[in-house]
Amino acid sequence: MLAGLALVQIAGLTIHALDRIDIQRIAQSRNLGFRIIPIYRLIAATEPARRQAVLSEQRIGPGLNVQLSDNPPETLLAEVPRGQQSLFRIGVNFGGLGDPKLRWTELRLYGGFQAREVVYAFRMPQGGWLNVAAEPEPIRPWHSPAFLIAFLLMTLTAAALTLWAVRRLTAPVRVLSAAAEALGRDVNAAPLPEEGPTETIVAAVAFNTMAARIRRFVSDRTEMLTAIGHDLRTPITRLKLRAEFIDDDELRTKILGDLDDMETMVSATLAFGRDSQITEPVSSVDLVELLRTILDETGDANPEVADRLTYSGPAHQTVRARPVALKRALANLVTNAESYGGSARVTMVPPTDGTVTVTIEDDGPGIPAEEIDRVFEPFRRLEQSRNRETGGVGLGLPIARNMLRAHGGDVVLSNRPDGGLKARVTLPV
Amino acid sequence: MLQSMESPPHVLVIDDDREIRDLLARFLEKQQIRVTACRDGKEARRAWTNGHYHLVVLDLMLPGESGLDLARWLRGQSDVPIVMLTAMGEETDRIIGLELGADDYLAKPFNPRELLARIRAVLRRAGDTAASRTEGSTRGFRFGGWTLEPTRRRLLNPDAVEVPLTGGEYDLLLALVERANRVLTRDMLLDLLRGRQAGPFDRAIDVAVSRLRRKLEDDGRNAQLIKTVRGGGYVLAATVDRA
Repeated sequence: MLAGLALVQIAGLTIHALDRIDIQRIAQSRNLGFRIIPIYRLIAATEPARRQAVLSEQRIGPGLNVQLSDNPPETLLAEVPRGQQSLFRIGVNFGGLGDPKLRWTELRLYGGFQAREVVYAFRMPQGGWLNVAAEPEPIRPWHSPAFLIAFLLMTLTAAALTLWAVRRLTAPVRVLSAAAEALGRDVNAAPLPEEGPTETIVAAVAFNTMAARIRRFVSDRTEMLTAIGHDLRTPITRLKLRAEFIDDDELRTKILGDLDDMETMVSATLAFGRDSQITEPVSSVDLVELLRTILDETGDANPEVADRLTYSGPAHQTVRARPVALKRALANLVTNAESYGGSARVTMVPPTDGTVTVTIEDDGPGIPAEEIDRVFEPFRRLEQSRNRETGGVGLGLPIARNMLRAHGGDVVLSNRPDGGLKARVTLPV
Repeated sequence: MLQSMESPPHVLVIDDDREIRDLLARFLEKQQIRVTACRDGKEARRAWTNGHYHLVVLDLMLPGESGLDLARWLRGQSDVPIVMLTAMGEETDRIIGLELGADDYLAKPFNPRELLARIRAVLRRAGDTAASRTEGSTRGFRFGGWTLEPTRRRLLNPDAVEVPLTGGEYDLLLALVERANRVLTRDMLLDLLRGRQAGPFDRAIDVAVSRLRRKLEDDGRNAQLIKTVRGGGYVLAATVDRA
């Protein structure tokens, strides 16, 4: 774009320069004609014998060298190129001879503007040659400060206007790409404003329609999962009851363990499908005791790692929250750390600027950098690097983030420099 | 304690799924609990008028008359303890049910042993607190500035900030608060936690009590609220106001 703009400017400048060169050449050739012809007229009007004397009495201006000769001049210069011939011939015609009888019978021209020297050779009617060597002033196409300023001003204005126009034209495209990006992160992102030029409105409407279809698709899938989750509750309940009639203790324990896993998956699916936090009232809750309760419960369920579930930070911190939803979100993060990292170090930083920060660190393998954003996508599980036995349906992190965001907070994952994963939770106080 | 504990307690189970009904009846009967099972509100009313029950296990999702309506009707009839079976994730049902006067709830799919533990705990509590129950269901217990709300299953500190409890801690505290200034033996408390705890039971009570003390800011060595009784037991040493 800018290169094209520069090219146009250069072309314009060249045209202007060539034009100026032409004009200056015409002026120069006429100027020379005006200076040479009076000398010629004088010499031609003088009888041949006295010519040399008359010539030597004449004061000839600078840049001219006038010689009388019986022959054309001996010069190394080539004849003036065709294109310039007429210029010089017209130039001398402007001089004004007065008496047509004085007109030269032949005019030869040597040199030219490129040679910086022009030799006029006039054969006079009475015989003999008048040879005039002239130095035209050098052609200066750029020799004008006003022109330079005007040119710069024009270039800058054109560049500024072009930039402005380009930005204005591409603004809707940037808005569109930002919206696409936002949609990728959150299906429920706000729709594009349908305003501006017709083309922009059409694009925005098309984009919003696409977003609505994606939303519809996601919600259909979620509804279907919720329905399956609902329907699974009865068979799981029956199986749990049946398992109680199994006499083999080991078998019964294993079956009940599997059923508990299934129940966990169903409850995660249901929690994701219906935003149960919406119906729960907001109340004041002690975040520290909430975290400790989660750690206690996780430790009770997995006594072998209980020692590696720790809390450090203030003894109390009140937050306004929906306790069940907030507990679920934080418990998902702690459970993740426990099951993938074998430990959970929970740390709370006292609030600054109305935001309290809780970090949950583990000693597991962490998450590959390129996957770190994608683990928040529903149903995504990192099977390659993480242990399959941990169960779950890949909804723990999406639920945690949904619920924290519904509280005006957020959760960000990062790999710790010395290994393990760190979940950083922020919550408004 | 409860006179009926001498003869097996009689429980009315109301669930629309025949398999669950039958399995639950078999399971509970194996545990010396007499069971009458019904499939809907109509059957339940008929069974109720024809028999005498110590406890009702009620599925809130019933065809026809809803479980909540039936619970309201039952409450109008008597103070029989009600354990609700709710749909997982249906917070509102649970809260309405508890506010209607249900004594406990379990989300489906439930663990049968946990249901058994709840039934036993509720039966024990009902026998113990029969006198107070006639005054109507309790919305809150106040003791030493703290408030325990059975309808929401939550504990509020003196600043009305919720202090989260695990399920076992809640059951334990409720038992202590309902029988304030009376010694509860470790065996009684163990019953409460059975079905909830995965770890060894003998330590579970002590662990739960020490966590409760921490949450109640009751200094362990010089505990004032939950006191240890020599010979194995705990007592809540505080005046409890019911609201």
